[in-house]
Amino acid sequence: MKPNPIVTVFRKELKDVLRDRRTLIFMLLMPTVAIPLLMLIMTEVMTHFGEKMAREKSEVLIINSEEAPGLKKLLERQTSLFVQAQKVLRLLESRGFTQDELSMTKGDPEAFKRLAAKKGIELDEMVGQLRDVLGTPDGDLSGMQLVSQAFKPNIVLTTKLDAALGDVTDPGSKEKVLLEAIRTNAISAAVELEEKTEERISDLGSAKIKIYYLDTSERSSLAQKSLISMFRSAGREIVERRIADKKLPVTFASPFEVTGKQLPGPGVIEKILSMILPYLILVFAFLGAMYPAIDLGAGEKERGTLETLLVAPVSRFSIVVGKYLVVLTAALVSATLATLSLAVSFHVGIFSAISMLSVGSFSFSSGEAVVAMLMVLPVGCIFAALLLTLSIFAKSFKEGQSYAAPMQFVLVLPAFVSFIPGIELDWITSSIPVVNVSLALREIFIGNLDQHAIHLIGIFGSTSLVAGLLIWVAVRWFQREQVLFRN
Amino acid sequence: MSNEKQNHVMVDDLTKVFSDKKRKKIVAVDKIRFEAQPGEIFGLLGVNGAGKTTTLRMLATMLTPSQGDAVVCGYSIRKQPQEVRRRIGFMSTATSLYGRLSAKEMVTYFGRLHAMSAAAIEQRIAKLFALLDMEEFADRRCDKLSTGMKQKVSIVRTVLHDPDVMIFDEPTSGLDVLTSRTIKRFVLDCKSRGKCVLFSTHNMSEVENLCDRVGVIHAGRMLACEPIEVLRSRTPGKRVEDAFVSLVGETS
Repeated sequence: MKPNPIVTVFRKELKDVLRDRRTLIFMLLMPTVAIPLLMLIMTEVMTHFGEKMAREKSEVLIINSEEAPGLKKLLERQTSLFVQAQKVLRLLESRGFTQDELSMTKGDPEAFKRLAAKKGIELDEMVGQLRDVLGTPDGDLSGMQLVSQAFKPNIVLTTKLDAALGDVTDPGSKEKVLLEAIRTNAISAAVELEEKTEERISDLGSAKIKIYYLDTSERSSLAQKSLISMFRSAGREIVERRIADKKLPVTFASPFEVTGKQLPGPGVIEKILSMILPYLILVFAFLGAMYPAIDLGAGEKERGTLETLLVAPVSRFSIVVGKYLVVLTAALVSATLATLSLAVSFHVGIFSAISMLSVGSFSFSSGEAVVAMLMVLPVGCIFAALLLTLSIFAKSFKEGQSYAAPMQFVLVLPAFVSFIPGIELDWITSSIPVVNVSLALREIFIGNLDQHAIHLIGIFGSTSLVAGLLIWVAVRWFQREQVLFRN
Repeated sequence: MSNEKQNHVMVDDLTKVFSDKKRKKIVAVDKIRFEAQPGEIFGLLGVNGAGKTTTLRMLATMLTPSQGDAVVCGYSIRKQPQEVRRRIGFMSTATSLYGRLSAKEMVTYFGRLHAMSAAAIEQRIAKLFALLDMEEFADRRCDKLSTGMKQKVSIVRTVLHDPDVMIFDEPTSGLDVLTSRTIKRFVLDCKSRGKCVLFSTHNMSEVENLCDRVGVIHAGRMLACEPIEVLRSRTPGKRVEDAFVSLVGETS
């Protein structure tokens, strides 16, 4: 049986590019190693710095503190919770929770329970110990809140500002002085009490509290958020006291008891990943195809093997199709590896911190995986055709690379739509190549593909059309001697 | 085509015009005609840019003629380029090897492209590698080979499918003495086995040593096409170089 020349060319070119280090790095190593590594470093760095910031002492200046000595005491009790939180934290750590894991559970009791279950830690017994530390009898929820308190800024109240910074009592220069104080990290924020604050509160009235902060300072805006929640819980205490004095029912001031319940559908992590993954997959489809494409076109010219090949008795159609299939294979392999390496990383739990946050785990069925790969196919066809066409035109590897770089921008930029929340898959977006696949992949990863099944027509229709057209251009291009012998 | 002319090359008014966007049209080859017989080495002699490479590339069907045609082994280069490619062996300094393939893989690939059976390829490789003393580096990657070794691989690549017509485009330019001797010996060997050999060069002594008939080509035109003895006798010194200069000088 005579072998098909396309198969002959394909087999040889595949062998050839697989012996090229650049191709191997971009096609195999980058997607399998770089993606998980990158994600791991990102989450590690984010948790590390977030936590570091939260553990630092944050000074808050109380202006006019003499107006409400009682309130200051109330606030101080709120901040002293930090000390208790530290004790709780130490207890939790002694039981095998790491700080990173705890910080990822934030104040979410459900996430905490999942974490405990995963670690095989008996919760009931531990909650008892928590109660001992706290000396309060009220359930595990407050214990969890304390854990999250431990990661809020460590607020320290102060009533005096360093004299060198200026006088805050002077109304004309107050804001200037505070701004300077926050900028130099002397304080994180300032709280200004109204005149007669104490009296207003005890007269069942309301007192104005003004918080000065700086939005662009992470420390300051964190302090502002903590202060708001501190005043809220201090306010609750005052209300409870007032109600008790009047002998009203406890529910007097809280007619509603509102709770939110996240349904067991896709959560925040699914949402974030569904935005990032389509982009990553398409980027790697491009990167994987790039070097083989340049190598098989421009590289062949540069190394002087093109003439050798052209005198062989095979049609130029067979040659270009064989080469094309190798480039396409590279694109698909790279994209598949990128997807797999992420899926495996999640499964193995490199990102245990992230997966803890999500309800259920991030996964997609094999059916969805097949549709996702089918979706990458036409985009891979487009990438491969364009890259090969450019590469055939280029005289040298360098020239090929200089064409591929801007092409990367043009081709991969549309993939960025997966990051834009407003853009949805509809009849128009489903007919724009690359954009449609990026959006469709997003829907697959969030588990919504069944809602958009009808748009698969537009997606496959338009991409196949464009891909077919581009392949035709590549084939024609390879038959033009002005392109092949561009000297 | 009659049978006895199967292995020959007949070039008829072959013309190639390149169009350049900036400059106008460049006539690289202008109505060239010649014939080459089996068992004969036909030399194309000319300076760089005379049109030798373009002519041979057209005969090897890499370029399409703008006008005219040529018949190689009974097939038109215009109408049946693939049939022509099946029957020729083409070698030039520009026909490099795939550096990442081994010598054997390289040659095998071209055997497959020539639709040879695996057994036939195996057989030919065994024979040719032994003949050229190549077994030692058969499995070494081509980019790790010396120039001489590379030339041997190229030779095997060219003759693996046992072509009737051999086309050599300045095969020795840039090669050292020993390597170019290998090539020249190979060219003569092709002749002795009854192949029709086309050979382009700007080297006068090569023409004198190898060629039976010579076409002097200059600025795309064939100035003379005659047996080497006739060319030599054009000047009193009977040297090809003098004949060439006198021919070219007449036009410039």
